Amino acid sequence: MKANSPTLPPIPARTGPDRPKKRSGPVPAWGLKLGGLLTTFGVFVSSLGYANAHLYVTTAPLQPATVAAVATTGTTAATSASTATAVPSTATTTTTTLTSAVRTTTQPAVTVTKKS
Amino acid sequence: MDLFFWEIARASGLAAYAALCISVLSGLAPRTQALSFLANNRAVRALHDWTPWIVIPAAAVHIVALLLDATARIGILDVFVPFLTSYGQLAIGLGTISLDLLVVVLVTTWLRRRFSNNAWQWWHRVSYLGFGTMFLHSMLSGTDLTSPVIAALSWAAGIGIAYYALERLGKALNPARIRA
Repeated sequence: MKANSPTLPPIPARTGPDRPKKRSGPVPAWGLKLGGLLTTFGVFVSSLGYANAHLYVTTAPLQPATVAAVATTGTTAATSASTATAVPSTATTTTTTLTSAVRTTTQPAVTVTKKS
Repeated sequence: MDLFFWEIARASGLAAYAALCISVLSGLAPRTQALSFLANNRAVRALHDWTPWIVIPAAAVHIVALLLDATARIGILDVFVPFLTSYGQLAIGLGTISLDLLVVVLVTTWLRRRFSNNAWQWWHRVSYLGFGTMFLHSMLSGTDLTSPVIAALSWAAGIGIAYYALERLGKALNPARIRA
């Protein structure tokens, strides 16, 4: 079927000052700065929340050796005292071995066990 | 208190990474049109010139928090001299190198008028190396990058910047540009 209208020649690309300029986004410089600031601050706050919720990450790539510092609990059982002693391993690994010891005490009992 | 510094160090590390991504991306954008959907080149350039105001505080908080964190055991010397730490020498050392390079880029930018434009451009290109070392530092030592979401975002930012850096490099090597 023959076309009713003749084929139009291709439109040449406009060059020179007439050429349509590529449109840029409308955000002003201060808007970009504010966005950058809020993004950085937002990352900080959300990361802080995440770190707070995940304090101990066992799969963290860096595991600095912890100093064996076990606080004394101060609790004393009626007839025995239980203490935990942190013993830093002498090997090159960073693990800490915990050993426990149960000892009797001469202090008066603070609880009563019902006798049958 | 030690845990407080540890949390601050982790959060500020990620914030510094985000700030540096914004800085590098806004530096690449005028030639690559990476942010043309947002703003014109003049505004993007203004953002790039302003980014030290977010990069420096975030990096400073990260370093100070690690210095105060007793578990991390980072000393003053470790901040500027790489590979001296008793553990994670490569991972932490890369962070030290990235900080040193960041200082070089910032100082040479502030002294820009004392350099020829060509010399200053070469100094400024050090920032690509600085970003690369910081990316590796975050990947090798980032505790929070064990989270899939944070890791995905970090990788996406890194890959996006690498893409635009390669595009920028391609345009720099384009013969048409040399002819012009």
